[in-house]
Amino acid sequence: MPRKSLLKFHTLKKPKIRQSWSKINLYNLSRLSTPAAATKTFFQQKWLAKSMTRGYHHPQIKEKHWTRMFDRRLPAVVPMDYQYLAQTDGSEMALGRGGGLDKEADQVHARDSRRRLKTPYMHMTFHPLERRLDTAIWRALFASSTRQARQFVVHGGVKVNGKRMLHPGYRLNPGDMFQVDPDKVMYATGARKAKKTGAMSTQDLADLKEQRRREEAAKAQETEAGADTAELDEDLEAMAAKPEEQEDPKAALKLLSMRASRILDSKRDLSGKRRQELREFSRTVRKTLSKLRGIEEEQVEETIDGLELGLAEILSKVPQDSLPKDEAAALDSARAAAEQDQATEEQAVDDTRTRRDAELLHAALERARENPIDASKPYATPWKPREFMSAFAFIPRYLEVNQNICSAVYLRHPVARPGLAEVPTPFHGETMGLTFNWYLKRR
Amino acid sequence: MFAWLKGPGKAFRKPLPGSSNYLSAYDRQGNLIRKGREERDDRGRFADLGEDEVLKETEDRDGLPKEGARDLKPYPLNAQFKSQPVLSEDLRRAINELVTENGIDLKAVSAAFGIDVRRVAAVVRLMEVEKAWEQEGKPLAKAYNDAVLAMLPTTPYRPSNPPAHEPINDLPVHPWTRQQIFLPTSESRVFTRADAAKTFHPSLLPADERIAHPELVQIAKWEHEGFDRETRQRLMREKDSESVARKEMKEYKRKQWERRTQVTVPGRRWDFKFQDISAEKVNKDGRGHEAVGIRYGMPHEDRKKGQFKIPTKVE
Repeated sequence: MPRKSLLKFHTLKKPKIRQSWSKINLYNLSRLSTPAAATKTFFQQKWLAKSMTRGYHHPQIKEKHWTRMFDRRLPAVVPMDYQYLAQTDGSEMALGRGGGLDKEADQVHARDSRRRLKTPYMHMTFHPLERRLDTAIWRALFASSTRQARQFVVHGGVKVNGKRMLHPGYRLNPGDMFQVDPDKVMYATGARKAKKTGAMSTQDLADLKEQRRREEAAKAQETEAGADTAELDEDLEAMAAKPEEQEDPKAALKLLSMRASRILDSKRDLSGKRRQELREFSRTVRKTLSKLRGIEEEQVEETIDGLELGLAEILSKVPQDSLPKDEAAALDSARAAAEQDQATEEQAVDDTRTRRDAELLHAALERARENPIDASKPYATPWKPREFMSAFAFIPRYLEVNQNICSAVYLRHPVARPGLAEVPTPFHGETMGLTFNWYLKRR
Repeated sequence: MFAWLKGPGKAFRKPLPGSSNYLSAYDRQGNLIRKGREERDDRGRFADLGEDEVLKETEDRDGLPKEGARDLKPYPLNAQFKSQPVLSEDLRRAINELVTENGIDLKAVSAAFGIDVRRVAAVVRLMEVEKAWEQEGKPLAKAYNDAVLAMLPTTPYRPSNPPAHEPINDLPVHPWTRQQIFLPTSESRVFTRADAAKTFHPSLLPADERIAHPELVQIAKWEHEGFDRETRQRLMREKDSESVARKEMKEYKRKQWERRTQVTVPGRRWDFKFQDISAEKVNKDGRGHEAVGIRYGMPHEDRKKGQFKIPTKVE
C-alpha cells in the first residue's frame, strides 16, 4: 500500500481508531476521548458514536450488510459457583416475603449488589463481526491489521480445518481451527527489513543511528570540556576499534579456511561425515573468496557470519561423535584411579570443561538455528517482534492459540460476563450504548 | 505525533521484558505507573511460591513489580475489556500429556486446572498438529512463540496448587430467561430454581443442569450429605456408567432410525443416499426453507449481481 493512502487510513486531523498495530493508530488511541454530549442533540450523539465505532469495526463492510448482521440480542453468561448450587436449591431467594425475613434478605442483597458487577452488554454490539475469519486472524496476533489478515486469506495463506479458505468474511463456527502460513505470520509481526538484500531491520538501524548520534554528542561535549583528555580517549578508542576495521573480508575468509584445514589435520578421530562436511566447508569458503569482487560489502559480512556459524555448527557435532569413546576412556581411568597422578586429573578437568563449553555452544547454536540470519526471508532476521506490537498484544478468551504452528481454534462465540466484555473495542461504554441505539430499528 | 512517539510513546517501541506493555500502564508523561508502587503487593500474591521462584520471576521482569489489573487494559477508555492471561507453554504441554498419555478425560483435566473443556480439547488438538509438524521436520515458529508469550500475561503451570485459568461453570443467559414474569404463588410454597426454570419455559432446564460441570454440583451435594470418600467415588462411577449407557442407547437408536429411513446405494464412484422427505414442509406459500428440491416460482438468485456464496461451515 502506498504511504499516502496509509496516512489517509490513519487520519490525524479527524482521528479514527483502526484495527491495526500502526504507530499512528497507537498515537490516535492515546488521545482518544469520549465526545462531549452536552452540546449535541441525541441524534448527533448517536451519529458520532456510530461513525467512531464503525471506523474501527470493519469500515469496509457496507452499512446495509452490517445492519443485516446486527442483532439486538446480545450474548452473555453468568459464572455459577457449584458449591452454592449444591448448598441451596434457590428457594432462599423467594423466602419470607412479607414474613419479616425480607429485611435481612434485602440487606444481604444490598451488600451483594455493591460487590456485584454489571454485565457490559453494550460492548457486545459488534459481536457478529468477531466471527469473521480476518478478524480472528488479527485477534490471534497472526497479522498486524485486519486488512493484512484479509490479504493473507485472499492470497491463499490461510486454512480452516485443514482446507484452504479464500473468503475473509467466512464466519467461524465454534470448534473451527484456522492455520496461517508461519512465514506470513513472521513477516506480519516481525521487524521490517532495512534493505531488500540485507537481513538487518529498520528498528535496529534506527537504534544504531541513535546510539552513534549519542556517542558523537557525548564526544563533542568532552572536547568542549577538555582538549587534553580527548586526545588520550581518541587514541584508546582507535586502538579498540582498529582491529575490527582492519579485518578485511579476504583475510577473514582465509582465516576460516585455515581453521577448517587445521581441524582436519589435527583431530585424527573425526568421523567420515564430519570430514566430508569440513572439506565441503573449505570448498565453499574458497568459492566465496573467488567471488569476492562482485558482492556488496554488507552482504560479504553476512556471508562471513553465516560461514562462521556453519563452522561452529560442524565443530559442535564433533564432541558428540566422540562421546562414547570418551566415556569408555573415563571408565577405564576410573578403574585405574589408584595409579592416576596429578597430571591426568588435571587433564580430566580440562576435558570436562571443554565438553561443557561445547554443550553451551551447542545450546546457543540450537537457538541460532531456530532463529537464523537469512537474507532471503521477507522479514528482518534473526526474527524480532515489530515496533509497537506489545501495546496491541492480547488474545481474547474465545480463541485458543498455538503460536508454534501459527494456528488457533475458535472455541466459542464471544460473550459478556459481569464486569467483562469479550469483544475488544477501544471505546467507552457510553459510546457503545449510543451505537447500539443507532442500530435499533426505531431511532 | 512525532513528538509523542519520541516522548511518551517511546515506551511502546519495544516490549517490556517478561511483562505486558499496554497504554494504561503508563501515565500521560510516559512513566510506568507501577514502578512507584510498593513491592509488597507482589509478596502477597506469591505467598504460596518459594523465595527463589519469586526472585526468579522478578529477575525475568528486570526488577519491575508484576502488572496489576489496571495495567492490563489495552484500551484506556474501555474499563470493561482486560487482557486476560493465556495458557503458558508448560501448562499446554502438561495438559496434552495428561490427556494423551495418561488417558485422563477432558472434563477431569478441565475441573482440576480450571480451564474450559473446549479449551482443553483445543490445546490437545493443536498439540497434535505441532507434533506432526515436528515429525515432518517442518520448522516451528519458536522465536515468534517466545516473543508473543513474553508479551502476554500467562497462567503458569503449578502441579501442586494449580491456579484457576477461567470460570468453568458459565451459565449462558438464555433468551427465554430475558423476560420478566409476574407469577402469583402461595407464600408457603418452596419455590426452587427448577420451578423458576419451568416458569420461564416448560422445557427449560434449571441452572444446576445447564452448566458445564453438573457432576461437580452432585459431588458437593454428596459431600454435604456426609457420604465418605469411597461412597462418593462409587456413586460417581455408577453415574458415569449410567450416562455412558444412555449415550450408547441414543447412538444405537439413531443407527436404527438411519437404517429404517436412509437407503445407501453404492455407485461406481459415489454413494447415492436416499432418505424420506415430507412434501408438507414447503408450507402454504411453497417457500418453506426446510423443504427439499427446486420449486416453481422460487428462482435461484445465485447468478444475480452481488450474490456470492461464502461457505457456512468447513468439515
